[in-house]
Amino acid sequence: MKVEDVVCPFCGCLCDDLVVEVEGTRVVNVENGCTLANEKFMGDHRLKAPIRRAGNAWEEISYDEAIEETAAILLDADRPLLYGWSGTFGEAQSVGVHLAELLGAVIDNTSTVCHGPSIMAIQEVGHPGCTLGQVKNRADVVVYWAANPIEAHPRHMSRYTTFCDGFFVKSAFRERKVIVVDVRETESSQVADEFVKVNPGGDYAVLSALRAIVRGKRDLIPATVEGVSREQLFRVADLCMSAKFGAIFFGVGLTMAQGKYKNIRNAIELTEELNRHTKFTISPMRGHWNVYGSNEVFTWITGYPYAVDFARGIAFYNPGETTSVDILRRGECDACLVVASDPGAHFPRACAEHLARIPTVQIDPHVNATTHLSRIQIPVAVTGIDAEGTAYRMDGVPIRTRRLFYGNYPDDLDVLEKLYRIIREARG
Amino acid sequence: MRVVLKTRPREKPRIPIEAEEIIPQNFLRKDDITVYYGNKERSLEDLFFVTIEGPAVSPDQVEVVLTGETGMIKRVGEYMNAGRIIIEGDIGMHCGNFMSAGEIVIRGNADAWLGREMRGGRILCEGNAGHYCAAGYRGEKRGMRGGTVEVKGNAGDFTAEYLSGGEVIIHGNCGDLPGVEMRGGTLVVGGDCARPCGNMTGGTCMVFGKARQFLPTFRSNGSQEVEYAGKRYRMNTFRGDVANRGKGTLMVRA
Ligand code: SF4
Repeated sequence: MKVEDVVCPFCGCLCDDLVVEVEGTRVVNVENGCTLANEKFMGDHRLKAPIRRAGNAWEEISYDEAIEETAAILLDADRPLLYGWSGTFGEAQSVGVHLAELLGAVIDNTSTVCHGPSIMAIQEVGHPGCTLGQVKNRADVVVYWAANPIEAHPRHMSRYTTFCDGFFVKSAFRERKVIVVDVRETESSQVADEFVKVNPGGDYAVLSALRAIVRGKRDLIPATVEGVSREQLFRVADLCMSAKFGAIFFGVGLTMAQGKYKNIRNAIELTEELNRHTKFTISPMRGHWNVYGSNEVFTWITGYPYAVDFARGIAFYNPGETTSVDILRRGECDACLVVASDPGAHFPRACAEHLARIPTVQIDPHVNATTHLSRIQIPVAVTGIDAEGTAYRMDGVPIRTRRLFYGNYPDDLDVLEKLYRIIREARG
Repeated sequence: MRVVLKTRPREKPRIPIEAEEIIPQNFLRKDDITVYYGNKERSLEDLFFVTIEGPAVSPDQVEVVLTGETGMIKRVGEYMNAGRIIIEGDIGMHCGNFMSAGEIVIRGNADAWLGREMRGGRILCEGNAGHYCAAGYRGEKRGMRGGTVEVKGNAGDFTAEYLSGGEVIIHGNCGDLPGVEMRGGTLVVGGDCARPCGNMTGGTCMVFGKARQFLPTFRSNGSQEVEYAGKRYRMNTFRGDVANRGKGTLMVRA
């Protein structure tokens, strides 16, 4: 059976034009997807049943047993951490937030290791953003700053920028200028009209210099700024100021480099400055599929997008204090529930070590690095393949994902609702 | 009155304690002081051995001494408006949040957000301070507004972010972006730092060590002599941050 208009469940582009061929409970072919999408649909590392660590081995247990034991672990904790959420759908994320409130837990999503600093900067100075459709149809200058879309978001350029014609940009390849700013050459920098190579950690100074140039203070700029010549800075500023519609996309190379959210704030303030001359927008290249949705859901319910601490019954947010990496590195939490992400693969070693020390439970379809740190793992359906729900694209557009077939697994929502019910009964 | 709070042994010592009720004025009129240990509310006596000596009729006559495993205790001295707190060892985050008067002395190290949005009084940290020393809360446009924070050792990144008033003196080194977004007050860095005063709009910052990765958007404004720790130094003076139409003063040792 061929299913059309399928939404890809891998990266923040949420491409919704895939054609997927299904045989029974298996995907056998994917059209229009990139290699990442193909691997996501056709990869086969799914855990068959819930497992529990028994000495140096694993034993299979029932779903009921696994969920009850998870509830007991969380109820017993004085500072539980509920982490992940970006690989699942909004309805499940919402139950997660209510569970955190009930438990007095900290709930955090993968923004903590990707675009959390972007949100902090937006909280300071706002967000002159737009949808990807606007960029596709209008942008004649596109800047990728510390992002490598060809490898991380493989269809971004072909669906929205360099290789995609738009309503007002009839021949994108000729009419759109692409500027790539990065610390090294990448596949993306090779297709750029202008490649700006910045010294590692030098983005903040380059952004400050561009702001000063756009403001008319060219006399202040020294011969080079963090490896970038004054002439190139002038050229880039002129390209941006003469654009009809410009769009900056920035990646984790900017959010996680020295200065973190101050880099993003500087980039937003450059965008604001450019808006005195023309129309310019700025958007984060959100990576982990529905991470934008987790920020939305957390914010509806708590007022904060990630790193929400319910220890005192009310929501408190302070990245650096209530973020998972910081909590784990300080050894604060005494139990952890990981849902739809893989901190074992992404977090620093000290954090992974703490996860292995405390009772960690993972709800995830696949065997991954976190499996090896966990006491229990509960396999679920993969959202966008055998589970459906709402996810958000990187530009904040909600998209309903499809279920391609009915498999043998419960979805995240089924498991979390059961867990919530048990904990609510225990709490009375 | 002298109140001594010695921590009791805790089964899970890494779980943070939130103790904003530990301020001198509370020991004068409250006998039901509670603190949070993780997600559980506990009485002060559950977590501390409490000894009270001598009388007091006003909060400025109260001295609170914290000893033992104090490095994970947060928010001590929050909204303090009189008296004295002495911490014999390290202290957790947010010590002296919003304090308006009185004195806090930390004999060890202080964790992040020491003196956050402080309005008056004095904090002396004899060890090192963490990130965001004398800064503001997330999204807050004004950080510390008055009083003095003095750190004998080093401070972390974003020291005195959004500083709006008062004086911050770090005798050792600072990390990245001290005085970022600062708009008033005085920041003194005795040692080295990186990228001081990005996006500043007002106030004065003096760096007596090396300023690494000096930002290109500060305009030179001559030099002048300044006294620090009993010696006179010639300082190169800059105005900025021009990227932000700033009119702050940044001085770096010549
Ligand atoms: S670009 Fe991203 S969303 Fe689109 S097909 Fe590739 S992995 Fe899927």
